[in-house]
Amino acid sequence: MEFVEEEEQLGFDSDEEKSELSDDELQEAFAKGLLKPGMNVLVAKAKKSTNNVEGLKQCLAEFRKDLPWVESLDMTNLPAEDLISKADGQAPAGVNEDINADDDFQREMFFYRQAQATVLGSLPLLKKHNIATKRPDDYFAEMAKTDQHMQKIRKKLISKQMIMERSEKAKKLREQRKFGKKVQIEVMQKRQKEKKAMMSAVKKYQKGMTDKLDFLEGDQKKPKDAGQGSKKAANKKGPNAKRKFKDQRFGFGGKKSGKKWNTKESHNDVSSFRAKVANAKGGKGGKKGKGGQQNKRPGKSVRRKMKSRS
Amino acid sequence: MAAFKRKRGGQTLVGKKAKKVKIVADGADASIESEQENNNEITVPAPVSGGKWTNKERVLIFSSRGINFRTRHLMQDLRTMMPHSKADTKMDRKDKLFVINEVCEIKNCNKCLFFEAKKKQDLYMWISNSPHGPSAKFLVQNIHTLAELKMTGNCLKGSRPLLSFDPKFDSEPQYALLKELFTQTFSTPRYHPKSQPFVDHVFTFTIADNRIWFRNYQIIEEDASLVEIGPRFVLNLIKIFQGSFGGPTLFENPDFKSPNMHRREIRLAAAAKVREKQMVKEMQKTKRTEAKTDLTTDVTADVFRTPAEEKPVLIETEPPVPRVAKKKKVNGYIRQRMARR
Repeated sequence: MEFVEEEEQLGFDSDEEKSELSDDELQEAFAKGLLKPGMNVLVAKAKKSTNNVEGLKQCLAEFRKDLPWVESLDMTNLPAEDLISKADGQAPAGVNEDINADDDFQREMFFYRQAQATVLGSLPLLKKHNIATKRPDDYFAEMAKTDQHMQKIRKKLISKQMIMERSEKAKKLREQRKFGKKVQIEVMQKRQKEKKAMMSAVKKYQKGMTDKLDFLEGDQKKPKDAGQGSKKAANKKGPNAKRKFKDQRFGFGGKKSGKKWNTKESHNDVSSFRAKVANAKGGKGGKKGKGGQQNKRPGKSVRRKMKSRS
Repeated sequence: MAAFKRKRGGQTLVGKKAKKVKIVADGADASIESEQENNNEITVPAPVSGGKWTNKERVLIFSSRGINFRTRHLMQDLRTMMPHSKADTKMDRKDKLFVINEVCEIKNCNKCLFFEAKKKQDLYMWISNSPHGPSAKFLVQNIHTLAELKMTGNCLKGSRPLLSFDPKFDSEPQYALLKELFTQTFSTPRYHPKSQPFVDHVFTFTIADNRIWFRNYQIIEEDASLVEIGPRFVLNLIKIFQGSFGGPTLFENPDFKSPNMHRREIRLAAAAKVREKQMVKEMQKTKRTEAKTDLTTDVTADVFRTPAEEKPVLIETEPPVPRVAKKKKVNGYIRQRMARR
């Protein structure tokens, strides 16, 4: 690398300063007056490259063959309109702006559009010279790539498409599942809220804070305001038949214990008193009529037989 | 090849009509069979040239030894794309380049595409006009061949291409010369016997980043929808010579950096980094091991000196009296306390 001063010195020939930058040499150079104070920056000398413009032009003139267009079919043109970037709303690149060679997509689109412009420009000329561009369907000729190869390409494209489709499907399923779970959670939360509201309303009434019994009708009022039709249809199913049967049979659950308390009211409650049972009136005489069928327990042998059968 | 020999000038063939019977047309190198849609007979057209082939361009495509598979495939692809090309055996490295001119003469070619591989890594391409004309040397990069599965287009073997050039080719003299060279080399002459009568693909040459980019597209529809066929490569111009494979240099590309230099620069940069790290480490080591001087006065001694009276030092001889822990009286809940207040 050559040593070049920041401030140009008159008549300074950089070729003489090919030495390495040891301190002694720098001192010498300073003594000679070739160095000036201040920052001296190392700059690479501009490479001298031949550009014999005249020679090039002459060569071209000799070498050129002025053939009619039909022979060479060449065209020099700018790329065709960039419809995509126009559609996107971006300003299309300037006329002769340098394409950014690193932006692959932009670069390839540039080449593509250039080819398109050539094709569009050449088609009328070709028609004029009666050269066809469309191959008839029954024209069988050797192609640049074998049919086998094209089959491979087709298979690859199809497989790529399949993979994409599959991944799309999987994504959708996953989304659906998540969505379904969300919906379920929401419904449960809603139910819990309603229950809580109802319980608190009941408590309030019990404590005497409100004396309105609106909460009892709450469920009935709301559907009346909201869409009735859909609610009716939904309510038609209601609880399952199975559920109904079980409710019927086993009751509605609730607290098992604490139902029987020995309070004043329960003590004074004589509704479940059956005089006949308590006083045993009409005992065996009354019983005889139905006695045989009422409580007749079968004998041991019969019971054993029944047991073994079932 | 049939025994029938065509006379130069093609006078015998000018008046020949298409035969109606399916016989291999004599004298033709490759005849095209096409079924007429109207008739049910198979018509064999006269050879495409029919004496009209005047633009006698022949390109010799060959390489030196030591090329790798990609280069070989690229060469074969170019031969497929250009029906006016001829192949030759590999050239020995020890022969000088002007020998190529003689090879071209023997093969009766007037253009040449010569691929030279160096170090099994770098590929250089020479393109020249054989006897006297100019020649150019390029560095070839980013090669993709016909056989790549991403190149989905296809075209007739030997169909004539359209050539598309960037307007930048007209702006500077070296590019103008290159444009002429490319046009003459890559365009298939009209009525070439191996050519097909349809025009269904287009070569593009574009200048970007001081390099020439080559692409090959198939024309699918008349509305100019294109698909890439391949091959594709990038040419980095090195020099243009006035003669074929020699002669005075007309143009030298100032932006060209030889691949060796490029690799060397990378290596030097890496080496410089390592050396700097080592230097830093060494400096740290020397700093640590150098003799440390003991200071007689501590410079920082006055930092904590506060100008206040000194308290007398209390020494307790008896242990301190334990403090009775007072139980906290809970006065009730906070709300009640607040209410009381």
